[in-house]
Amino acid sequence: MSVIVNGHPQPLPEPPTLAALLLLFSASTPFAVARNGEFVPRANYEECRINPGDQIVIVHPTVGG
Amino acid sequence: MTNRENEDQLTLYGQRFASRLLLGTARYESPQQLADAIRVGDPCLLTVSLRRQLPGAKDAGRSFWNLLRDTGRTILPNTAGCHDVREAVNTACMARELFDTSLIKLEVIGDEVNLQPDPFRLVETATELVKLGFQVLPYCTEDWVLCRRLMDAGCEVLMPWAAPIGTGQGPRNPSALRELRQRAPDIPLIVDAGIGLPSHACQVMEWGFDGVLVNSAVSRAIDPVGMASAFSAAVGAGRSAFLAGPMTVQELAVPSTPEIGRPFQQIHAWEQR
Repeated sequence: MSVIVNGHPQPLPEPPTLAALLLLFSASTPFAVARNGEFVPRANYEECRINPGDQIVIVHPTVGG
Repeated sequence: MTNRENEDQLTLYGQRFASRLLLGTARYESPQQLADAIRVGDPCLLTVSLRRQLPGAKDAGRSFWNLLRDTGRTILPNTAGCHDVREAVNTACMARELFDTSLIKLEVIGDEVNLQPDPFRLVETATELVKLGFQVLPYCTEDWVLCRRLMDAGCEVLMPWAAPIGTGQGPRNPSALRELRQRAPDIPLIVDAGIGLPSHACQVMEWGFDGVLVNSAVSRAIDPVGMASAFSAAVGAGRSAFLAGPMTVQELAVPSTPEIGRPFQQIHAWEQR
């Protein structure tokens, strides 16, 4: 059972929350997150439950025009 | 700063800026080169973006984040690469949280060949973002009806292109850009995309545009730091010229030196007619 993080399979964490997944992924701050295409506010990471196959996107700042 | 410069600040969503140059942060050879271009160009805003974090990435945007913080400049995140409403809205929401700003440069691309904005989705996305409390700066074309719809949606700044992104062609449709300026005299208009030379920037500023956003024109120059300086001067010169009020173009020659009292004045046959 896994979720897809930035296009790569990642084991589903226990408990299956976004906060646990971010720990597993070792996301580097600063970052922001979307689950299945929808932005998830930072305040909701603990309560955001994830399911097998969910698409998680973690983004960081980069250069842009 | 002179009194006139102090009075003539650029106001975007209530924020006042002394500079009228907006600078993109992409495609520089090194972070130091970017930092030097920012220092020399003295832009009011820096455009930035968001990209996926790679698993286990050591830096993951941290050094860029520190560079931005050290410049002390206002940050303008973009939605570059977005093609539909949902994608753009969620990118904007992530940018707002990450950069702690409601400002968003809204890009909704409708064509992969020339990276032209999708006017229909742009208006729809802008409407949604304004409802969510964003301060939207839409990257658009010079089409008057599109610009009017964006204003109706609540955009208080517009960013019409000069030419397709990254081409450096300069204004491809000068008459439409000038008409837009005339028909929308009160909203800040920033010319974004397609500027290649300081003379292009100076020209649109002479036409009364409020600012210019450049990226590739600076970062892809042989000497990006020198070019940042040149753009800064050009934007300032164009603005000063606009405020000074250019002369009216004449169809025929008008001598600038007084006619009366020429040392060897003669009445030529053609002057007697």
